[in-house]
Amino acid sequence: MNHTLAELQSGVAPAADPTVKIAVKGLDFFYGDFQALTDITCDIRDNAVTAFIGPSGCGKSTFLRCFNRMNDLIIGTKHAGLITLDGQDIYAPGVDPVDLRRRIGMIFQQPNPFPMSIYDNVAYGPRLHGMKKKADLDEVVETSLKRANVWKEVKDILGRGGLTLSGGQQQRLCIARVLAVQPDVLLMDEPCSAIDPTSVQKIEDLMAELKSSVTIIIVTHNMQQAARVSDETAFFLQEVMGEPAMLVEFGRTAEIFTSPKDKRTEDYITGRFG
Amino acid sequence: MRENFRQEMRDLKVSVLDIGRSIVDVTKLSVKALVEGDVDLAEQVIANDDDIDTRCLAIEEHSLEIIATQFPVARDLRLLHSLGYIAMHFERMGDLGVNISKAARRTASRRGPQTLYDLIQAQGNLVHRVLEAMLEALEKNDLELARKLQDLDEPIDHLFKQFFRELARLQDEEDIEWASSMVLASRYLERIADHAVDIGDRITYMVTGQFEAPPEEEA
Repeated sequence: MNHTLAELQSGVAPAADPTVKIAVKGLDFFYGDFQALTDITCDIRDNAVTAFIGPSGCGKSTFLRCFNRMNDLIIGTKHAGLITLDGQDIYAPGVDPVDLRRRIGMIFQQPNPFPMSIYDNVAYGPRLHGMKKKADLDEVVETSLKRANVWKEVKDILGRGGLTLSGGQQQRLCIARVLAVQPDVLLMDEPCSAIDPTSVQKIEDLMAELKSSVTIIIVTHNMQQAARVSDETAFFLQEVMGEPAMLVEFGRTAEIFTSPKDKRTEDYITGRFG
Repeated sequence: MRENFRQEMRDLKVSVLDIGRSIVDVTKLSVKALVEGDVDLAEQVIANDDDIDTRCLAIEEHSLEIIATQFPVARDLRLLHSLGYIAMHFERMGDLGVNISKAARRTASRRGPQTLYDLIQAQGNLVHRVLEAMLEALEKNDLELARKLQDLDEPIDHLFKQFFRELARLQDEEDIEWASSMVLASRYLERIADHAVDIGDRITYMVTGQFEAPPEEEA
């Protein structure tokens, strides 16, 4: 559901809308003195895939990392504005970033399995959260690997090191590792740019399957991928070097890729710049 | 910058416009053949139709190749899809021109009342005007002109009805085959203009990204 800025500012709360998983209002973000994002307002819908697109350096990844407070780990960063998850301010005092990151999992461009067995990679999170019984762990490992579309390939080699797998398999193992702790939201930062086409296909398939239970946000430079996998698309742009990036257009993916409303969106997706 | 792709799209549009000009010629020549009873000219138009069909098919093939390899989106996608759609209309308009020429072939052996030839020539001139306007709108992405095509089409429909009334006055039974060929020719002309109006709607979509609702049919 789209909201006008006036509606958002007047307090017609998108958080009250059950279809909204994450609501962002007037977000500014700074690296030291440099303002990277300005006045971002948008709703991320539940049970949907949202794609962030835009030229390099337009703040997509910065914005993505605000959702699980990964930017907190970088010294000198600060933000203004509000981000809510299920209506709760994620930057409120008392919110534990570690617990937040369990609810909002993240997948990176380069697969990063732990140097341990496939089984232990997936069981790592549940164990950390206190799961001890082997039968429970077995079940969560199998379910997570199945949801990550990699079970068939690894079910007979669960004791083998995660790093022995191919890049694409490693990436799906990392997805299984995130899914094992039952996140509400999955952030994917260019998850397919370093892996083989078959794995890309499998990851795109699993996104379609997962979205009924997990809200997915993907940053991608591959516009065909954004068009294929997402329900909604957000286009970010830094118009002037040194100035902060902004959210130019946010709407239904089918509409963005056939009849975008903003000329800058149109020029970018048709390859006229960027 | 996708310069090769841009050029490919421009070339494709030029090819479609060229077919459009051939359609203008087909319409003009088939009306001339009908009015002047020129069987040779009619045969020429009929023989030329294969060439138009081949060129329309080439547009479709080329569009498919571009879709498969270039992943066009937004205005590029709308242009590409619309050009394919317009080429399909042209192919049908060409067929209608052929039908007029076949009517010319059937009617050439006898001469009917001059009023009817004058009427069909007038109708042909109006259709010619609609076709020229449609091609200009397509070439220049002229939204205003595209939206005007509907108005330009109206008198053509009236002329068809008038033509029909004039024919109904013919008494001689021997005239029936001749008359039915003539009324069909008038109908084909009217249909050619209708296709041009549909193309106008498509140009509007191509430019704006919005499908505009067709005006209500008169009761």
